[in-house]
Amino acid sequence: MLLRSFFILLLFSFSAQDYAFAQDDEFETYETSGEQEIYDPYEGLNRKVYAFNDTFDRYFFEHVARTYRTGVPEDARDAIHNFLNNLSLPVSALNSMAQGRVHNTLATLSNFLINSTIGLVGIFDVAGQKGIFYRPQDFGQTLGYYGAGNGAYLMIPFLGPSTARDFGGFLVDKAVSPVGLNLVEVGGKIKIVPTEYLIGTAALSGVDTRESLLDVIDDIRRDSFDPYATIRSAYLQKRANSIKN
Amino acid sequence: MLFLFVPQSFAQSASKADDVKKFVEEIGNKIVIIASDKKLTDAKKREKIIMVIDGVIDADWIARFVLGKNYKTATDRQRELFTKLYRDFMINTYGPKFKNYNGRKFTVNDVAEQGGFYVAKAEFLPYDSKIPISTDFRAKERNGKLVILDFIAEGISLIETQRSEFNSAISQKGMDKFLDDLTGRVANLKNMS
Repeated sequence: MLLRSFFILLLFSFSAQDYAFAQDDEFETYETSGEQEIYDPYEGLNRKVYAFNDTFDRYFFEHVARTYRTGVPEDARDAIHNFLNNLSLPVSALNSMAQGRVHNTLATLSNFLINSTIGLVGIFDVAGQKGIFYRPQDFGQTLGYYGAGNGAYLMIPFLGPSTARDFGGFLVDKAVSPVGLNLVEVGGKIKIVPTEYLIGTAALSGVDTRESLLDVIDDIRRDSFDPYATIRSAYLQKRANSIKN
Repeated sequence: MLFLFVPQSFAQSASKADDVKKFVEEIGNKIVIIASDKKLTDAKKREKIIMVIDGVIDADWIARFVLGKNYKTATDRQRELFTKLYRDFMINTYGPKFKNYNGRKFTVNDVAEQGGFYVAKAEFLPYDSKIPISTDFRAKERNGKLVILDFIAEGISLIETQRSEFNSAISQKGMDKFLDDLTGRVANLKNMS
């Protein structure tokens, strides 16, 4: 939020000189990851899903997130965020390993081990405070790392923006994670984690994420002429960058 | 003969990269200092920050880029109106956010030449975090002077995102309706400030 605002402020000190435009060829050399790579063949349907998500959010989820922000102290919210984040680290480490990122894999595993023990099941980010940083990885990124393209842009009900690749990756990550879809339990053979716990962490994770996005989504709703297009562009750029780096 | 030119060319490129690094660091550090100054009012911060960066942005280039593919089909009047409105839109939309733009440190780690532009890779460290936020500044030399053309936060280009948004809005509404909406938005923003 801070950074985004920082950039934005730099943009608007325009000196209103004349209105002569630069030469076209300068713009053709500007390499970006956005407009040319947007593949949204289901845009009509996606916009309907977006409208549904937006309505659901305005009338319900946003209020839950605001209540969470105002009703739960920041330290407690940080602890919950750390706890939830810690649960995602084993899958993140697996994906990092699958991409051959040795340093990042070790850093991710170190975070998980340190925070799970000294950090009291992840409530305290002890590893982060010690300067052990890592980049989270998911299966969508792993597929992208090995050359898979985005596929069609998708707007998923309740979940938000994604792509065919990333949504497939999301499902794989959840299937692998012991606190995700828990396919072992679905198979009816072994019950690793109680269903109530799975639902609880999923709901809490949703609220935690939505709370972190309150200011960003407020800004987009207020400032954008087409929030759907803004979110689509930002999502695709962000994912491209996370795979590249 | 070729070997005689190579070191000179390399030295010039390195020197220009140093210039870009210094240029971007100066901008970033000035803004951080102003935004972190508790003695200044929000209005004063906004005013001072705008003064710092006024002149380092190539407004015409950005406006042209943000207009995207619609530039070629727009009339001269539409182009001129858009450029003027766009500046007002940006100032009045994002001005009130200045008070939150403080932090502990701004560092440019590297400058690379890419497609005729200079990309300054920087980090911004907020007060409330130990994890720096990565930042790219895209700069170019124009008429012997360095200018900023884009800001890329965590991989998200501000002007690329806005171009996508504007193009989508224009394709749905048409240029004239879009400009009407932009005019109305700017008027509302000015009334609110």
